[in-house]
Amino acid sequence: MKADHRATLLQRQIFSPGLFSVTFSCPELAQTTRAGQFAMVDVPDRIQPYLRRAYSVADADPAAGTVEFLLKTIGRGTSALERLPEGSAVRLLGPLGNAFTVSDLARGARVAIVAGGIGAAPFPMLLKALARAGVSSDFYFGGRNARELALAARFAGSVTGEVVLSTDDGSLGEKGFVTQALARRLSGGASYARVYACGPMPMFAALAKVVRPAGLSSEFSTEAEMGCGFGACLGCVIPGTEKPFIVSCSEGPILSPEKIKW
Amino acid sequence: MTTKPLGVRLGPLALANPITTASGTFGYGLEFTDFVDLASLGGLCTKGLSLKPHAGNPPPRICETPAGMLNAIGLQNVGIDNFLAEKLPQLRALGATVIANVWGDLEDDYVTVVRALEGAEGIAAVELNISCPNVRQGGMLFGNSPPLTRALVAKVRAATMRPLIVKLSPNAPDLVLSARAAHEAGADILSLVNTFVGMAIDPETARPRISFGTGGLSGPAIRPIAVRMVYEVAKALPGVPLMGIGGIAELSDVLEFLAAGATAVQVGTASFKDPGVSGRLVRELAAYCETKETTVAGLVGRAHRAGSVGGEAGAEG
Repeated sequence: MKADHRATLLQRQIFSPGLFSVTFSCPELAQTTRAGQFAMVDVPDRIQPYLRRAYSVADADPAAGTVEFLLKTIGRGTSALERLPEGSAVRLLGPLGNAFTVSDLARGARVAIVAGGIGAAPFPMLLKALARAGVSSDFYFGGRNARELALAARFAGSVTGEVVLSTDDGSLGEKGFVTQALARRLSGGASYARVYACGPMPMFAALAKVVRPAGLSSEFSTEAEMGCGFGACLGCVIPGTEKPFIVSCSEGPILSPEKIKW
Repeated sequence: MTTKPLGVRLGPLALANPITTASGTFGYGLEFTDFVDLASLGGLCTKGLSLKPHAGNPPPRICETPAGMLNAIGLQNVGIDNFLAEKLPQLRALGATVIANVWGDLEDDYVTVVRALEGAEGIAAVELNISCPNVRQGGMLFGNSPPLTRALVAKVRAATMRPLIVKLSPNAPDLVLSARAAHEAGADILSLVNTFVGMAIDPETARPRISFGTGGLSGPAIRPIAVRMVYEVAKALPGVPLMGIGGIAELSDVLEFLAAGATAVQVGTASFKDPGVSGRLVRELAAYCETKETTVAGLVGRAHRAGSVGGEAGAEG
């Protein structure tokens, strides 16, 4: 059940300037969160940011009682968390939203995880869940340049299949978009029981064109600016195919690409 | 001191306490059941209900601003039929005091929705939204013109026996004139204020941050203006029950609006940031009244009473 939890910042790890993780002590949230869900993070006593921020839970350790977020410094919320002293108290509202589907996959199945930049955020926990289910995961991780892929270090040792890195400028891994790297392997005969993806909207639009003709089951973790995170403000809608708007926080954030109007 | 120190009476509407939640910031109430005992609130104002389901505006719909936010949701809602069939029975089962917020494009739309509500059980009052700044028709157009306000309220008044609240627009040229028009046309209670029309522009793209262009500003940023407006309307229309709205997040904010002349308040944007805030304010207000040995009724309008502004003690008796 979702609740507003007190949490304490235990640790911050910097991967490169502006790319970091924060780990909080928050036992209840650590026990209740499933891969793909998110929390609304409130850094207290601030005029700005006024609203909470929605961040995917990157990983949760029920035994240690910790939850981790992978973040990129973009606006006031992430800047505040980049500077927040260790030991500080925050509030975490969660777990919110739906989760990635894992339970329907057969042992021995193979899936692809496609991440664009900070879109890698929800995947450490998913990789663990897939590994527990005996599912092999190929991890496609793309960014504009090598610096954007500094988070790859966070995934060392946790990917059970192939790691495919790509950069727009070719400074690391394959040159081009991560969706092109996936398309090349699919046309080379690779097959996946599911494609999990998280990244910017242009990446989703390109990926939808790759997975839909191939008839691949897909789950996209969408991003929208959220006011509340639990379906009250209706600020985070995404244009839909079955109805005008999908409420990203309460009906998502994990959505099938067929439901999204591109 | 009465046995129920938190109880308030706003004309024909009696509430167990003065803490209610503002329309548009509390969904249909059901989104908050993990955080608030709905029965503990004085009341909850539903998302604005229209005749037909309404899709609302395309995204982006919200943007954060200093101490607040802009929104142009565009009154997305499930429509009156779905509300009555699906939402209201659940709210009744939870013991909520339901204030149905109503809007329309045309006068007749308001009347039709209010008539549909008239047959339903479990609605404590109707609140007319004549002040939404985020739709092209209706909404604020009614609220910004005293003659249109008067005509609409009179028509709706004739269609309902229920306590009638009219939610005023702070964007009206003269709020006191609008308030007077609504009251004279039959409003039992006035709620004020709705959001202020604002705008935020992305400095890189030079485009508005909200697809609608402008949006309604809410949150603590508007509180001093809202307090001033409640104070002015209370002074101009003594005896007309008011519900104060604008950036309420703390007990001190509640006390401020009561002092300005509101008999009840509506908690708005704060519920997004802190979904349990309304229930907590009820508990804090109860503790405050007990400690101070006072009633909420005794806290209403203190700023208007001789002596209280000058600092003389004992004004609240």
